[in-house]
Amino acid sequence: MKKKNGKHSLTLEKRNQLKGLVFVLPFIIGALAFFIYPIFFSVRISLAQEIKIVGMKMSGWTFDSYKRAFIVDTSFLPEFKDTVVFTLTRFPLTIILSLIIAILLNKNIKGRGFFRVLFFIPFLLGSGEVMQQILNQGVERAVLNINDGRIIPYNVLMYFGATIMDTVQTVFGSLVTILWGSGVQILLFLAGLQSISPSLYEAAKIDGATEWEIFWKVTIPMISPMMLLNIVYTLVDSFTSKDNKLLGYIRTYGFSNNEYSYAAAMSWVYFLFIALVVAIVFGIMKKYIHTNEIEEVRKRERKHRVFTIEKAPRRTFE
Amino acid sequence: MSVNTESSQSKKRLEGLLNNLALRWYLFKRKYSTFSGLKQLLLRIVMYLLVIGLAFVFVYPFLYMIVNSLMSNSDLNSSSVNWIPTELKFENFSVALDLINGKKTAEKTFEKFLTETLEADPDASMFKVRIDYVIRAIRIWFTDRKYIVNSTFVTVLATFGHVITCSFVGYGFARYNFPFKKLLFGLVILAFIVPTQTLIIPSYLTYSNIKWFGGNWINTYYPLIVPTFFGFGLRGALYIFLFRQFYLTVPKSLEEAARIDGCGFMKTYWKIVFPLAKATLVVAIVLSVVWHWNDSYETGIYVQTPSKQFLPPRIKSIISAANALPDQQQEMLRQLGLEDGEDTLNNAVVMAGATVISAPVLLFFAFAQSQFMQGIERSGITGE
Repeated sequence: MKKKNGKHSLTLEKRNQLKGLVFVLPFIIGALAFFIYPIFFSVRISLAQEIKIVGMKMSGWTFDSYKRAFIVDTSFLPEFKDTVVFTLTRFPLTIILSLIIAILLNKNIKGRGFFRVLFFIPFLLGSGEVMQQILNQGVERAVLNINDGRIIPYNVLMYFGATIMDTVQTVFGSLVTILWGSGVQILLFLAGLQSISPSLYEAAKIDGATEWEIFWKVTIPMISPMMLLNIVYTLVDSFTSKDNKLLGYIRTYGFSNNEYSYAAAMSWVYFLFIALVVAIVFGIMKKYIHTNEIEEVRKRERKHRVFTIEKAPRRTFE
Repeated sequence: MSVNTESSQSKKRLEGLLNNLALRWYLFKRKYSTFSGLKQLLLRIVMYLLVIGLAFVFVYPFLYMIVNSLMSNSDLNSSSVNWIPTELKFENFSVALDLINGKKTAEKTFEKFLTETLEADPDASMFKVRIDYVIRAIRIWFTDRKYIVNSTFVTVLATFGHVITCSFVGYGFARYNFPFKKLLFGLVILAFIVPTQTLIIPSYLTYSNIKWFGGNWINTYYPLIVPTFFGFGLRGALYIFLFRQFYLTVPKSLEEAARIDGCGFMKTYWKIVFPLAKATLVVAIVLSVVWHWNDSYETGIYVQTPSKQFLPPRIKSIISAANALPDQQQEMLRQLGLEDGEDTLNNAVVMAGATVISAPVLLFFAFAQSQFMQGIERSGITGE
């Protein structure tokens, strides 16, 4: 395209730009074919009045599908609410627990490599069919079993009553599933913790900071970019997980009932909500994120200092 | 004489060991006898207990799977057997494998083939028949294990596509400036955020109306493999991001030196920069393999032909067999050409199937784990 001008007439900068475009070209093609085109297609489907499946011909424009989702369909909004509440209650726990585990695994303990591998095993079994089968058998409740009288004696159990113990057991069960689902998050936090230079910790210790202060004033700011990545990943992952009820609901409309336009409309409402949540997270986190800008400021300061030191001795000699 | 020296030597060794232990004990006492030392010791103990307890929680599903897969019916039903089966029942695995692979075609076809060829042409040389036999044997061996072969095929190709393209694109984003760079990188982030499920309906309709590669990609593996070669597919954007983060940490002087030596930009990339990304490569490969192997959403929608199915969903057939009535179970076993035992189809077989299904990934990770963990430490993922 642009190479018609001949290679020699291009400036170095232009040539570099072309090289960059060559590298990104597969992604551009992919984005057009597998991302942007489906997006517009999906919007068109959700707004179409009539769809002929053979040959994919659409006609007419209406908002009926969207109206149907909010006004007519009585089970869409409750399902939506359930999914959102489920996700939003679980994701802070995922982040906090995986951060704690990552910090533990980053400590100087014996067999650290071994433990790191162990903590990754649930991820390998995955969110796939195998883990689903294990979860169907109620294993997550058996891990921290308090109802069998081993950890807490029966007398105490009797005192609290069955309903309370059952709710506690359920909470434990969901904690365990959260832990099993946090393999990647632990990994990302570990990578973040590894990238913090030890000199920062040494400096803090010399200045007399306690472990607690070091955690809040060194560790947390330094891994805040990773925190953002992790939060976004966790949000997206749990919003799109396999056992998500709403997605199952959309899928039945799309592929079992063949109501494409309604299914597309619902998934757009859902996606816009996810995008909103992610945008809010970005907005909140932006203030607290430690970036390289600080280093840039430091560089500027250093330049300034050199300038003053150079000037000072001359004055004294005069 | 020799006995004497040996015994004296062993005595000396023992003394040395005791001295060593005493010294260690002394140092240990001195270190932890003070209040702060004691506090440190307690903290360390608590930390170890916490790590070991958490490790138990994390390994639990794996242990549960392995232990249950080896249990017999009486072990499953007895309340006194929790962790250690009274007898190891390895037949569970063979039954599970047979259920996963479905009906065996191999042996019957062989017999049929031999009798047919010999009837048609009694003078055929035995050598030729044997060669044909071997070729057929290999083909049938693979068709009998088609689910494993299918899963491996798609996983390997898709991972290859991800690694090759995402590293390439990531380098472009890390090193070069070009028009719309920010917009394109925004697209990468957006592709990461937009769930597959939002785009699955238009994608499905597009693939079913596509014209290339013989048209209609539904029930082929193209929808799973082709997008990965363009940086999309299952979480493709994440790998682009990973590689970009790594290439940002590579010093520019390396490429400049290569350029001065007369190396073109493509060659510089493939021969000099790409090999440096080994650690990130391992991370990307492991993640991609695990996700592709375990994925059942996209695979379930794009591929519906029974013979093209993948390994993980096959566990459903075992579960349905295990949940069936006893008569039906006997019928199933007979169809598979198995002897009908008393207690063959139970939860132990389901867990054996789960073990078989997840074994390739677990083995792969066992081989890659040391490099993978190093990769995590060195990959320069800092999230900025």
